Amino acid sequence: MRLRSGQLGIIILTPTLLVMLALVVFPTLWGVVMSMTNISLVGRGAVHPRFVGLANYVKLLRDSRFYHSLWVTMFFTIFSALIGQVVLGLALALLLRKKDVKGRNVIALAVFVSWVIPEVVAGYMWGSYASREGLLNLLIKALRLDVIGLEPTNWLFYRPLETITIANIWRGTAFSMILFSAALESIPEFLYEASSLDGATSWDKFRYITLPLLAPAILTDLILITIWTFGVFTMPFIMTGGGPGNKSELWTIYIYRQALLPPYEIGYAAAAATLMFLLTLLLIVAYMAVLKKGWG
Amino acid sequence: MGKEKPLMYFFMALVALFFLAPFVWLILSSVNPQADIRFKLPSSITFDHYSKILTGRTFAWIMNSSIISLASATLATLLSILASYSLTRYKFKGRGALVDFFVMLRLMPVMVIMLPVMMIFARMGLLDTLLGVILLETALELPFSVMIGSSYFETIPTDFEEAAMIDGCNRFMAFLKVTLPLSLPGLVTIWLLAFVTAWGDFLVPLFLLRTPDKFPVSVGIYMVFGEHGRVNYGLLSALSMIYSIPVLVVFLIMRKYLTRGIAGLAIR
Repeated sequence: MRLRSGQLGIIILTPTLLVMLALVVFPTLWGVVMSMTNISLVGRGAVHPRFVGLANYVKLLRDSRFYHSLWVTMFFTIFSALIGQVVLGLALALLLRKKDVKGRNVIALAVFVSWVIPEVVAGYMWGSYASREGLLNLLIKALRLDVIGLEPTNWLFYRPLETITIANIWRGTAFSMILFSAALESIPEFLYEASSLDGATSWDKFRYITLPLLAPAILTDLILITIWTFGVFTMPFIMTGGGPGNKSELWTIYIYRQALLPPYEIGYAAAAATLMFLLTLLLIVAYMAVLKKGWG
Repeated sequence: MGKEKPLMYFFMALVALFFLAPFVWLILSSVNPQADIRFKLPSSITFDHYSKILTGRTFAWIMNSSIISLASATLATLLSILASYSLTRYKFKGRGALVDFFVMLRLMPVMVIMLPVMMIFARMGLLDTLLGVILLETALELPFSVMIGSSYFETIPTDFEEAAMIDGCNRFMAFLKVTLPLSLPGLVTIWLLAFVTAWGDFLVPLFLLRTPDKFPVSVGIYMVFGEHGRVNYGLLSALSMIYSIPVLVVFLIMRKYLTRGIAGLAIR
């Protein structure tokens, strides 16, 4: 062989690297450049974009709608991912572990299918499900849920943020469920048997065996789903489009609307996207540090 | 234990309801001659919606989705074979950093790059072309494809290749005749997962395409759903069902594999 093997390795890696550099890395950096201009889709900024320094960032930090989108994203992430998906995912993983319970495979399958069907389809069917005369309201009436304060309503109009949050629990729980199921499998059975001999209750076992041994998996799960939930766009966008007004306007939807709806301020939206990039980068670095450290 | 059982089945019933109920309207309205956004049991059943999908613009959308997914999955598979082979068979400086780099790219929200890509593609004449969508989908599939490819090549011992090389094969022939056939299941996995990633994607074509004739199914559904006035919900639901089938088939085949992959994250 004429080439030293290390060189050949780099040569066959080059096409992939070029594609990634051209289509992902360069655009990310170009986005930072764009965020310092007044570039727009129409008007003067479309023909002759000007360098404006950090003006977009200054404007962003004074934009109450931007803060609102941050708040919406926080609410959405905390309640749908950090609370909803983790708690429900853990409950389901514990349930799937019980070999004597009938029907658990059907449940696991339903949760899995909710996770993998195309996002647009999920958003479309939730759009009907949560509408005024949708099945959700029929169920609320049939189950007499008004006794716990749930009244039929047009959920996407009057409770848009809560509705996309619950829809996202529906959408994303499968990942946590599968992750926790795997982690539970790795807990040795004898720990539970030994604790039974010592008279531990089910709760004791959960509190002193399951939960501590699950902690690393929970940490991995929390970081990953936080990163993913930050980037969620499609399903909420199909369901509410960020509205009514900007009531359910996630960060991602804010960026889309700033850039592709009037006043088409792309440079300004790019500044918001750059902040999103930096924050996610921070989370990813944290995640990778956790992975590298290992669990001892 | 006796007290827990009924409570557990009650919990399971609630969970089943929560996860299954949203599907009911979609399935029913796809066969309902008078489908509506409202939930109503159909008085009769029709398959007209399904037969109409294969004509007109909905058929064009299915073709566009197919072209985008086939092309980008094939490109991503070819590129990732080379990259994964390099990452698992060669030692060079910065290899570990590259693997980290791919993990990082895989986790980054796509929204971050959509505006710059849109502006760059506009200058290059790639905006509103399927080629532009194919290229970006390929780039977005690559990190995951390379990760899967690397984990497959790692399971194939280099001994076989070395034996082939001793028997007179050059490195390329050894790869072609020994490693590639052995890693075929991995390549199929890469291709299928890349295919469904592009097939289900909405964000990229939403930003990069303007002409309705060029839309894939995802953007088509959004556009029709967003059209106020007389939306043909029956047709749209049937289209959603057909559109979901390839994804469901692939993921149900891959379920064990994905579960194992996620398990790898849990246990380290």
